[in-house]
Amino acid sequence: MSDQHGGAAHGLAARVRQVESLLEQRGLIDATELDRALEAFLARASPANGARVVARAWVDDGFRARLLADANAALPELGLSMGGGIQDQRLKVVANTETTHNVIVCTLCSCYPIALLGPSPSWYKSESYRAQVVRDPGAVLRGFGYEPGPDVEISVWDSTAESRYMVLPRRPAGTDGLGEADLAALVTRNGLIGVAAV
Amino acid sequence: MADRFRPGDRVLTSRADPAHHTRLPRYARGAAGTVLETEGRYPLPDDRSRGLPAEPEPVYAVSFPAAELFGAGDHQVTLALWESYLRPLTEETKPGE
Amino acid sequence: MSRINDVGGMQGFPPVEQERDEPPFHADWEAHVFAMNASLVGRGVYNLDEFRDAIERLAPQEYLAASYYERWFLAITRLLEEKGVLTAREVAGG
Repeated sequence: MSDQHGGAAHGLAARVRQVESLLEQRGLIDATELDRALEAFLARASPANGARVVARAWVDDGFRARLLADANAALPELGLSMGGGIQDQRLKVVANTETTHNVIVCTLCSCYPIALLGPSPSWYKSESYRAQVVRDPGAVLRGFGYEPGPDVEISVWDSTAESRYMVLPRRPAGTDGLGEADLAALVTRNGLIGVAAV
Repeated sequence: MADRFRPGDRVLTSRADPAHHTRLPRYARGAAGTVLETEGRYPLPDDRSRGLPAEPEPVYAVSFPAAELFGAGDHQVTLALWESYLRPLTEETKPGE
Repeated sequence: MSRINDVGGMQGFPPVEQERDEPPFHADWEAHVFAMNASLVGRGVYNLDEFRDAIERLAPQEYLAASYYERWFLAITRLLEEKGVLTAREVAGG
Protein backbone atom coordinates (compact mmCIF):
# COMPACT_ATOMS: atom_id res chain seq x y z
CA MET A 1 0.00 0.00 0.00
CA SER A 2 1.49 3.30 -1.03
CA ASP A 3 2.05 6.25 1.26
CA GLN A 4 -0.51 8.85 0.31
CA HIS A 5 0.85 11.66 2.49
CA GLY A 6 2.36 14.77 0.97
CA GLY A 7 2.02 15.79 -2.66
CA ALA A 8 -0.17 13.00 -4.00
CA ALA A 9 -2.73 13.29 -1.22
CA HIS A 10 -2.84 17.05 -1.53
CA GLY A 11 -3.74 16.69 -5.20
CA LEU A 12 -6.33 14.07 -4.32
CA ALA A 13 -7.94 16.26 -1.68
CA ALA A 14 -8.38 19.02 -4.24
CA ARG A 15 -9.87 16.62 -6.81
CA VAL A 16 -12.29 15.22 -4.25
CA ARG A 17 -13.44 18.73 -3.39
CA GLN A 18 -13.83 19.50 -7.07
CA VAL A 19 -15.98 16.45 -7.75
CA GLU A 20 -17.97 17.09 -4.59
CA SER A 21 -18.67 20.60 -5.76
CA LEU A 22 -19.84 19.39 -9.18
CA LEU A 23 -22.09 16.78 -7.58
CA GLU A 24 -23.58 19.37 -5.30
CA GLN A 25 -24.35 21.57 -8.29
CA ARG A 26 -26.14 18.59 -9.86
CA GLY A 27 -28.10 18.06 -6.65
CA LEU A 28 -26.62 14.61 -6.06
CA ILE A 29 -25.01 15.40 -2.74
CA ASP A 30 -25.60 17.97 -0.03
CA ALA A 31 -22.36 18.97 1.68
CA THR A 32 -23.95 19.94 4.99
CA GLU A 33 -26.02 16.78 5.07
CA LEU A 34 -22.87 14.82 4.24
CA ASP A 35 -20.95 16.26 7.19
CA ARG A 36 -23.84 15.66 9.56
CA ALA A 37 -24.28 12.05 8.43
CA LEU A 38 -20.55 11.42 8.80
CA GLU A 39 -20.48 12.85 12.32
CA ALA A 40 -23.52 10.83 13.33
CA PHE A 41 -22.01 7.67 11.91
CA LEU A 42 -18.68 8.07 13.71
CA ALA A 43 -20.44 8.88 16.97
CA ARG A 44 -22.70 5.85 16.76
CA ALA A 45 -20.45 3.14 15.30
CA SER A 46 -17.35 1.97 17.17
CA PRO A 47 -15.67 -1.14 18.58
CA ALA A 48 -17.11 -0.18 21.98
CA ASN A 49 -20.46 -1.44 20.65
CA GLY A 50 -18.98 -4.84 19.93
CA ALA A 51 -17.35 -4.89 23.35
CA ARG A 52 -20.73 -4.24 25.02
CA VAL A 53 -22.31 -7.06 23.07
CA VAL A 54 -19.54 -9.44 24.10
CA ALA A 55 -19.69 -8.43 27.77
CA ARG A 56 -23.46 -8.97 27.85
CA ALA A 57 -23.05 -12.38 26.20
CA TRP A 58 -20.48 -13.31 28.86
CA VAL A 59 -22.80 -12.55 31.76
CA ASP A 60 -26.16 -13.54 30.26
CA ASP A 61 -26.50 -17.03 28.76
CA GLY A 62 -29.94 -16.28 27.34
CA PHE A 63 -28.61 -13.24 25.49
CA ARG A 64 -25.65 -15.24 24.26
CA ALA A 65 -27.94 -17.90 22.82
CA ARG A 66 -30.16 -15.27 21.16
CA LEU A 67 -27.09 -13.49 19.80
CA LEU A 68 -25.68 -16.61 18.22
CA ALA A 69 -29.06 -17.63 16.80
CA ASP A 70 -29.99 -14.23 15.33
CA ALA A 71 -27.63 -11.36 16.07
CA ASN A 72 -29.74 -8.73 14.26
CA ALA A 73 -32.69 -9.52 16.53
CA ALA A 74 -30.54 -9.50 19.68
CA LEU A 75 -28.70 -6.19 19.10
CA PRO A 76 -31.71 -3.96 19.93
CA GLU A 77 -31.66 -5.41 23.46
CA LEU A 78 -28.60 -3.19 23.92
CA GLY A 79 -29.99 -0.34 21.85
CA LEU A 80 -27.75 -1.30 18.94
CA SER A 81 -28.44 -2.21 15.32
CA MET A 82 -26.81 -2.88 11.97
CA GLY A 83 -28.92 -0.17 10.38
CA GLY A 84 -28.09 3.41 9.51
CA GLY A 85 -25.69 2.56 6.73
CA ILE A 86 -26.09 2.21 2.98
CA GLN A 87 -28.08 -0.95 3.50
CA ASP A 88 -28.97 -3.04 6.54
CA GLN A 89 -26.72 -6.05 6.79
CA ARG A 90 -27.06 -9.43 8.42
CA LEU A 91 -24.73 -9.82 11.40
CA LYS A 92 -23.48 -13.29 12.26
CA VAL A 93 -21.62 -13.68 15.55
CA VAL A 94 -19.26 -16.63 15.74
CA ALA A 95 -18.18 -17.87 19.16
CA ASN A 96 -14.68 -18.95 20.10
CA THR A 97 -14.61 -22.13 22.15
CA GLU A 98 -12.04 -24.38 23.79
CA THR A 99 -11.55 -26.11 20.45
CA THR A 100 -12.32 -23.41 17.85
CA HIS A 101 -10.87 -19.97 17.23
CA ASN A 102 -12.59 -17.78 14.64
CA VAL A 103 -11.11 -15.05 12.46
CA ILE A 104 -12.84 -12.79 9.93
CA VAL A 105 -11.73 -11.48 6.55
CA CYS A 106 -13.08 -10.16 3.28
CA THR A 107 -10.64 -11.46 0.68
CA LEU A 108 -12.42 -9.77 -2.24
CA CYS A 109 -12.64 -6.26 -0.84
CA SER A 110 -13.03 -5.16 2.80
CA CYS A 111 -16.53 -6.08 4.00
CA TYR A 112 -16.82 -5.56 7.74
CA PRO A 113 -19.64 -4.90 10.27
CA ILE A 114 -19.05 -1.18 9.89
CA ALA A 115 -22.54 -0.12 11.01
CA LEU A 116 -21.80 -1.61 14.43
CA LEU A 117 -18.05 -1.28 14.81
CA GLY A 118 -17.19 1.74 12.66
CA PRO A 119 -14.54 1.67 9.90
CA SER A 120 -12.19 -1.29 9.79
CA PRO A 121 -8.45 -0.88 10.43
CA SER A 122 -6.23 -0.41 7.35
CA TRP A 123 -4.48 -3.73 7.91
CA TYR A 124 -7.82 -5.54 7.58
CA LYS A 125 -8.25 -3.96 4.13
CA SER A 126 -4.67 -4.75 3.03
CA GLU A 127 -3.74 -7.29 0.36
CA SER A 128 -1.32 -8.79 2.88
CA TYR A 129 -4.07 -9.72 5.32
CA ARG A 130 -6.67 -10.69 2.75
CA ALA A 131 -4.24 -12.93 0.86
CA GLN A 132 -2.62 -14.65 3.82
CA VAL A 133 -5.26 -15.23 6.46
CA VAL A 134 -7.29 -17.74 4.43
CA ARG A 135 -4.17 -19.69 3.50
CA ASP A 136 -2.11 -19.54 6.72
CA PRO A 137 -4.16 -18.02 9.55
CA GLY A 138 -1.74 -19.41 12.14
CA ALA A 139 1.09 -17.34 10.71
CA VAL A 140 -1.07 -14.22 10.56
CA LEU A 141 -2.17 -14.66 14.17
CA ARG A 142 1.44 -15.20 15.25
CA GLY A 143 2.25 -11.91 13.52
CA PHE A 144 -0.28 -10.31 15.86
CA GLY A 145 1.37 -12.01 18.82
CA TYR A 146 -1.39 -14.55 19.33
CA GLU A 147 -1.10 -18.31 19.27
CA PRO A 148 -4.19 -20.46 19.86
CA GLY A 149 -3.39 -23.69 21.69
CA PRO A 150 -2.38 -26.86 19.82
CA ASP A 151 -5.84 -28.41 20.16
CA VAL A 152 -7.61 -25.37 18.79
CA GLU A 153 -8.83 -25.42 15.20
CA ILE A 154 -8.87 -22.09 13.40
CA SER A 155 -12.00 -21.24 11.45
CA VAL A 156 -11.71 -18.42 8.90
CA TRP A 157 -14.88 -16.64 7.74
CA ASP A 158 -14.67 -14.88 4.36
CA SER A 159 -17.38 -12.20 4.01
CA THR A 160 -18.13 -12.90 0.36
CA ALA A 161 -21.85 -12.06 0.51
CA GLU A 162 -24.15 -9.85 2.57
CA SER A 163 -23.42 -11.26 6.04
CA ARG A 164 -20.98 -9.42 8.25
CA TYR A 165 -19.21 -11.46 10.89
CA MET A 166 -18.02 -10.64 14.39
CA VAL A 167 -16.15 -12.89 16.78
CA LEU A 168 -17.42 -13.57 20.29
CA PRO A 169 -14.15 -14.10 22.18
CA ARG A 170 -13.91 -16.41 25.17
CA ARG A 171 -14.23 -14.77 28.54
CA PRO A 172 -10.76 -14.53 30.09
CA ALA A 173 -10.04 -16.50 33.25
CA GLY A 174 -10.06 -14.66 36.58
CA THR A 175 -12.81 -12.19 35.59
CA ASP A 176 -15.64 -13.57 37.72
CA GLY A 177 -15.89 -10.52 39.92
CA LEU A 178 -16.05 -7.98 37.11
CA GLY A 179 -19.17 -6.06 36.12
CA GLU A 180 -20.29 -5.65 32.50
CA ALA A 181 -18.55 -2.31 31.94
CA ASP A 182 -15.23 -3.68 33.20
CA LEU A 183 -15.67 -6.81 31.09
CA ALA A 184 -16.37 -4.70 28.01
CA ALA A 185 -13.13 -2.80 28.64
CA LEU A 186 -11.22 -6.06 28.17
CA VAL A 187 -12.54 -6.57 24.63
CA THR A 188 -10.43 -5.17 21.79
CA ARG A 189 -11.25 -4.60 18.13
CA ASN A 190 -8.60 -7.17 17.25
CA GLY A 191 -10.45 -9.67 19.44
CA LEU A 192 -13.72 -8.95 17.59
CA ILE A 193 -11.97 -9.60 14.27
CA GLY A 194 -10.22 -12.66 15.65
CA VAL A 195 -6.53 -11.74 15.50
CA ALA A 196 -6.34 -11.65 19.31
CA ALA A 197 -7.75 -13.82 22.08
CA VAL A 198 -10.00 -11.03 23.33
CA MET B 1 -38.86 -21.50 -4.75
CA ALA B 2 -37.48 -23.73 -1.99
CA ASP B 3 -33.79 -23.61 -1.17
CA ARG B 4 -31.89 -26.11 -3.27
CA PHE B 5 -29.53 -27.02 -0.42
CA ARG B 6 -29.88 -27.78 3.28
CA PRO B 7 -27.41 -27.77 6.17
CA GLY B 8 -25.13 -30.77 5.89
CA ASP B 9 -25.38 -31.04 2.10
CA ARG B 10 -22.12 -31.56 0.23
CA VAL B 11 -21.64 -29.11 -2.63
CA LEU B 12 -19.15 -28.40 -5.36
CA THR B 13 -18.36 -24.82 -6.33
CA SER B 14 -18.28 -23.61 -9.91
CA ARG B 15 -15.01 -23.59 -11.83
CA ALA B 16 -16.09 -20.63 -13.96
CA ASP B 17 -13.72 -17.69 -14.27
CA PRO B 18 -16.07 -15.00 -15.52
CA ALA B 19 -15.07 -11.73 -17.14
CA HIS B 20 -17.59 -9.93 -14.95
CA HIS B 21 -17.86 -9.18 -11.23
CA THR B 22 -18.49 -12.25 -9.10
CA ARG B 23 -18.25 -13.17 -5.43
CA LEU B 24 -16.81 -16.67 -5.71
CA PRO B 25 -13.08 -16.17 -5.09
CA ARG B 26 -10.53 -18.05 -7.19
CA TYR B 27 -9.21 -19.99 -4.20
CA ALA B 28 -12.64 -21.58 -3.60
CA ARG B 29 -13.53 -22.58 -7.18
CA GLY B 30 -14.00 -26.25 -8.10
CA ALA B 31 -13.91 -27.16 -4.41
CA ALA B 32 -16.01 -29.57 -2.35
CA GLY B 33 -17.59 -28.12 0.78
CA THR B 34 -20.38 -28.59 3.29
CA VAL B 35 -23.39 -26.32 3.69
CA LEU B 36 -23.61 -24.95 7.25
CA GLU B 37 -26.74 -22.84 6.97
CA THR B 38 -28.73 -20.46 4.78
CA GLU B 39 -27.80 -16.82 5.25
CA GLY B 40 -30.74 -15.25 3.47
CA ARG B 41 -31.86 -14.47 -0.08
CA TYR B 42 -30.15 -11.80 -2.15
CA PRO B 43 -29.91 -10.88 -5.82
CA LEU B 44 -26.85 -12.26 -7.62
CA PRO B 45 -24.08 -9.61 -7.70
CA ASP B 46 -22.83 -10.94 -11.04
CA ASP B 47 -26.09 -9.66 -12.55
CA ARG B 48 -26.66 -6.59 -10.39
CA SER B 49 -23.23 -5.25 -11.22
CA ARG B 50 -24.09 -5.39 -14.91
CA GLY B 51 -27.50 -3.77 -14.58
CA LEU B 52 -29.25 -7.07 -15.31
CA PRO B 53 -32.46 -8.02 -13.50
CA ALA B 54 -31.73 -10.26 -10.53
CA GLU B 55 -34.24 -12.05 -8.33
CA PRO B 56 -33.13 -12.88 -4.79
CA GLU B 57 -31.71 -16.36 -4.46
CA PRO B 58 -30.42 -18.25 -1.41
CA VAL B 59 -26.95 -17.57 -0.07
CA TYR B 60 -25.35 -20.35 1.95
CA ALA B 61 -22.49 -20.46 4.44
CA VAL B 62 -20.32 -23.23 2.99
CA SER B 63 -17.35 -24.63 4.87
CA PHE B 64 -14.19 -26.10 3.34
CA PRO B 65 -11.17 -27.78 4.90
CA ALA B 66 -8.03 -25.79 4.04
CA ALA B 67 -6.48 -28.86 2.45
CA GLU B 68 -9.32 -28.94 -0.06
CA LEU B 69 -8.62 -25.33 -1.05
CA PHE B 70 -4.83 -25.09 -0.83
CA GLY B 71 -3.56 -28.66 -0.57
CA ALA B 72 -2.32 -27.90 2.95
CA GLY B 73 -3.46 -26.46 6.27
CA ASP B 74 -5.43 -27.66 9.28
CA HIS B 75 -7.97 -24.88 9.40
CA GLN B 76 -11.48 -24.40 8.00
CA VAL B 77 -12.56 -21.65 5.64
CA THR B 78 -16.23 -20.71 5.42
CA LEU B 79 -17.55 -18.54 2.61
CA ALA B 80 -21.01 -17.14 1.94
CA LEU B 81 -21.95 -18.36 -1.54
CA TRP B 82 -24.91 -17.73 -3.82
CA GLU B 83 -26.83 -20.80 -4.92
CA SER B 84 -25.81 -20.11 -8.53
CA TYR B 85 -22.20 -20.81 -7.59
CA LEU B 86 -23.01 -24.29 -6.25
CA ARG B 87 -24.07 -27.72 -7.47
CA PRO B 88 -24.61 -30.93 -5.56
CA LEU B 89 -21.49 -32.98 -4.97
CA THR B 90 -22.16 -36.41 -6.39
CA GLU B 91 -20.09 -39.25 -7.80
CA GLU B 92 -20.41 -37.60 -11.22
CA THR B 93 -19.45 -34.10 -10.09
CA LYS B 94 -16.75 -35.05 -7.58
CA PRO B 95 -13.41 -33.60 -8.67
CA GLY B 96 -10.66 -36.07 -9.57
CA GLU B 97 -7.77 -36.77 -7.19
CA MET C 1 -10.29 -13.23 -16.22
CA SER C 2 -9.71 -13.16 -12.47
CA ARG C 3 -9.38 -9.67 -11.18
CA ILE C 4 -6.62 -8.11 -9.12
CA ASN C 5 -8.81 -7.73 -6.02
CA ASP C 6 -9.21 -11.52 -5.78
CA VAL C 7 -6.12 -12.05 -3.62
CA GLY C 8 -7.27 -14.81 -1.25
CA GLY C 9 -4.44 -17.35 -1.00
CA MET C 10 -2.06 -15.32 -3.16
CA GLN C 11 1.54 -15.53 -2.04
CA GLY C 12 4.31 -12.96 -1.94
CA PHE C 13 2.70 -10.13 0.01
CA PRO C 14 4.65 -8.67 2.95
CA PRO C 15 3.66 -9.44 6.55
CA VAL C 16 0.61 -7.63 7.90
CA GLU C 17 1.48 -4.29 9.50
CA GLN C 18 -0.64 -2.65 12.16
CA GLU C 19 -0.79 1.11 12.55
CA ARG C 20 -0.96 2.22 16.17
CA ASP C 21 -4.05 4.18 17.27
CA GLU C 22 -5.23 4.45 13.71
CA PRO C 23 -8.02 7.02 13.18
CA PRO C 24 -11.16 6.00 11.23
CA PHE C 25 -10.03 8.24 8.35
CA HIS C 26 -6.50 9.50 7.72
CA ALA C 27 -7.62 12.71 6.04
CA ASP C 28 -10.81 14.71 5.48
CA TRP C 29 -10.91 13.77 1.82
CA GLU C 30 -11.15 10.08 2.77
CA ALA C 31 -14.17 10.75 4.96
CA HIS C 32 -15.73 12.78 2.17
CA VAL C 33 -15.20 9.99 -0.35
CA PHE C 34 -16.83 7.57 2.10
CA ALA C 35 -19.82 9.84 2.59
CA MET C 36 -20.06 10.72 -1.11
CA ASN C 37 -20.35 7.03 -1.97
CA ALA C 38 -23.13 6.52 0.58
CA SER C 39 -25.00 9.46 -0.87
CA LEU C 40 -24.65 8.33 -4.48
CA VAL C 41 -25.70 4.75 -3.71
CA GLY C 42 -28.54 6.04 -1.58
CA ARG C 43 -29.81 8.14 -4.47
CA GLY C 44 -29.56 5.22 -6.87
CA VAL C 45 -26.86 6.71 -9.13
CA TYR C 46 -25.24 3.28 -8.93
CA ASN C 47 -25.56 0.22 -6.68
CA LEU C 48 -22.98 -1.39 -4.41
CA ASP C 49 -22.30 -4.24 -6.81
CA GLU C 50 -21.53 -1.75 -9.59
CA PHE C 51 -19.28 0.10 -7.15
CA ARG C 52 -17.28 -3.03 -6.26
CA ASP C 53 -17.12 -3.92 -9.95
CA ALA C 54 -15.69 -0.49 -10.77
CA ILE C 55 -12.93 -0.92 -8.16
CA GLU C 56 -12.12 -4.35 -9.55
CA ARG C 57 -11.83 -2.93 -13.05
CA LEU C 58 -8.93 -0.71 -12.05
CA ALA C 59 -5.76 -1.77 -13.86
CA PRO C 60 -3.81 -4.13 -11.57
CA GLN C 61 -0.86 -1.72 -11.18
CA GLU C 62 -3.24 1.13 -10.40
CA TYR C 63 -5.18 -0.96 -7.88
CA LEU C 64 -2.10 -2.11 -5.99
CA ALA C 65 -0.48 1.33 -5.93
CA ALA C 66 -3.56 3.24 -4.81
CA SER C 67 -4.54 3.71 -1.18
CA TYR C 68 -7.89 2.30 -0.11
CA TYR C 69 -9.97 5.46 -0.46
CA GLU C 70 -8.12 6.47 -3.57
CA ARG C 71 -9.44 3.26 -5.13
CA TRP C 72 -12.91 4.29 -4.05
CA PHE C 73 -12.51 7.72 -5.60
CA LEU C 74 -11.18 6.30 -8.87
CA ALA C 75 -14.12 3.87 -9.01
CA ILE C 76 -16.67 6.55 -8.18
CA THR C 77 -15.42 8.97 -10.82
CA ARG C 78 -15.33 6.19 -13.41
CA LEU C 79 -18.94 5.28 -12.62
CA LEU C 80 -20.02 8.92 -12.72
CA GLU C 81 -18.50 9.21 -16.16
CA GLU C 82 -19.96 5.90 -17.40
CA LYS C 83 -23.38 6.90 -16.13
CA GLY C 84 -23.16 10.30 -17.82
CA VAL C 85 -23.30 12.26 -14.56
CA LEU C 86 -19.94 13.91 -15.18
CA THR C 87 -18.02 14.35 -18.39
CA ALA C 88 -14.54 12.89 -18.88
CA ARG C 89 -13.16 16.41 -18.69
CA GLU C 90 -14.89 17.13 -15.40
CA VAL C 91 -13.62 13.86 -13.98
CA ALA C 92 -10.07 14.71 -15.07
CA GLY C 93 -10.34 18.00 -13.24
CA GLY C 94 -10.85 20.24 -16.24
